[in-house]
Amino acid sequence: MKIYPYKRLSRPITLRVTSVSLKLSDGTRDPLDTSAYSVQEQAVALGVAGHTDWVSATIGLSVTLPPGADAPDAAWSDLRVLAVLTDGETNVRTSTALTRDTEGSHDWSGYLEVLRDDHLGRASLSAYAIGTVDGVRGRSITETDRSWVVDTVSDEPVRGLRLDVRKASFSKSSREWLRAYADAPWLVDTTARVPTVFVNTDIDGIVGLLDSNGSGVDSKVRDLLVAQMATDVWTAVFHGAIGDLEVEPGGGPVFPTDWQGEVLREMLPDVVPGVHVEEALRQVHNRRTGDSGWAELQTRIHYAAVRRADAAKAVGYMIRSLERTNRENET
Amino acid sequence: MITQPHHVPERLALLSGAAVDTFLTEGLLRGEQVHSGIDLAKVAEPLPEDDARWWVEPIRSLVEDAMFEFRNERTKADAWLAPRLHATLRLTRREAADKRLWNHLALAVAPDYVVWRHLSESAQRVAAERFRGPSDRQCFSRLWWAAEIFRNGPDYGPVETACGNQDLIHTVLRLGLLDHRPTAQAVVRLLQDGKITTGREVNGLSVAINAAGATLIYDVLAPDEPRDPARLRDWIAEAETAPPVSRHDLPEGPDEDPVPEESLAALTDYFADLFETAPVRGRKSED
Repeated sequence: MKIYPYKRLSRPITLRVTSVSLKLSDGTRDPLDTSAYSVQEQAVALGVAGHTDWVSATIGLSVTLPPGADAPDAAWSDLRVLAVLTDGETNVRTSTALTRDTEGSHDWSGYLEVLRDDHLGRASLSAYAIGTVDGVRGRSITETDRSWVVDTVSDEPVRGLRLDVRKASFSKSSREWLRAYADAPWLVDTTARVPTVFVNTDIDGIVGLLDSNGSGVDSKVRDLLVAQMATDVWTAVFHGAIGDLEVEPGGGPVFPTDWQGEVLREMLPDVVPGVHVEEALRQVHNRRTGDSGWAELQTRIHYAAVRRADAAKAVGYMIRSLERTNRENET
Repeated sequence: MITQPHHVPERLALLSGAAVDTFLTEGLLRGEQVHSGIDLAKVAEPLPEDDARWWVEPIRSLVEDAMFEFRNERTKADAWLAPRLHATLRLTRREAADKRLWNHLALAVAPDYVVWRHLSESAQRVAAERFRGPSDRQCFSRLWWAAEIFRNGPDYGPVETACGNQDLIHTVLRLGLLDHRPTAQAVVRLLQDGKITTGREVNGLSVAINAAGATLIYDVLAPDEPRDPARLRDWIAEAETAPPVSRHDLPEGPDEDPVPEESLAALTDYFADLFETAPVRGRKSED
């Protein structure tokens, strides 16, 4: 817990997205329906309507302050509420002031503009209540405890990291670097904007298998294969993220601001259990760059990857499915 | 020291991170041997052909001029090249965040510049991140982003000042605190006024700004104007007809509004006060 040198509210702000509309390059507006955002996931997907030519998005916001914000004996004055959009990939920070809905209300609302040219992937949206405390202007009194994800590309409002799966003939791909890997069934590329799995269509039947649906053994084999790929991805992504860590001058490693940071925050509790993620990151970084302990950590990294890939479930269903098939063959 | 590859492409392209390794040889990192360019051209993904921005020649000639002009003091090339690269390669932030573009520029177009600028005299080697690395490390993207973050609307003057201080663009850029435009301009103004000068002072100030920023929202102390995306688009469209950037005078950036003077003044005063009391390595307390 952080200690603050002034009085604050102990409870967080609740932030909700209430509307999303896109301004298109021909000047018209397309209001997106509610499938563009999810309150549960706290995510907005600006790609839902399939527009590639939008110029800006206007996101309607509503904020509820915790009780006590307007108490007559509050330690602050000049209360304001600000919504802030940040994007570590493009170094963008945009803020907009919200206005109180009605006199005496805890609810504030307003609109935030998201410029298409300013983002490549995801931005993060949070809200702050700010006041003058003990004569100091601009103090943050409370804020959102979990920010919203604004994804400028995705067509589904989900918070978790999405993989990009692409199919390509490795031996004939225009991505010529894939040709060196012509005998591999799939490859993981963690240098792209989001981690990407290339599936090699040269392997006979692999596409059919991956696209299979239904309840037969095929689909169980597919799930197992997907779990295997996902394990590879999570492992590769973790190593990639740890290998690229930036270290503050005279300090510890810093969490990356893009999806690599998301991956680390998600996996570290399984890699180094029982400590805060910042401490876990420091320990992992020390093990990798220090004299010893890196090899020992591999089992835990693999464990974290297997859990994320739902490998146990896939193996379990696969075995049950095989047992059923065998039984049917015997009778 | 290497020269340019035998085959330099005519147009910029995208080079995926996974394809980079083949060309990032030990010989290149030591500055002794460069690929021919032919194999690299095969794995690069082309950019749209009807866009004049992707012509390589204007960039190639800029880096050659930089290597000549600053042959005796290569770190000074940063302050000269950053605004000129930014005004030559006109990008949206969205485009500039694509690392594949910078990979291609460093590996295919100007590996000789990367080696010239970043070959470490003690290690006799260039760090691989100068070719393919985080945006605040890679040879060209760090300059482009420094120019983008420190320009005040069309005015590149603050960029020159900022890039003259290696600590500012080396360590402070990554902290994210400069993403608030008035903050970036206030730091530059303190440099211009001579209130802070050394790298240690820059680091001390940035630590103090960051620490205070944990409880203070600078957006309230120093509000910024919302940006009009059309102004940047117009400037990018003008790349089609723009003459080469001047080698002597600073170019002009996109016609966006500068940071409101009131915000800049308020924040400069605030940081100056903060700096008075900030611990700076090597600075003796005077009382």
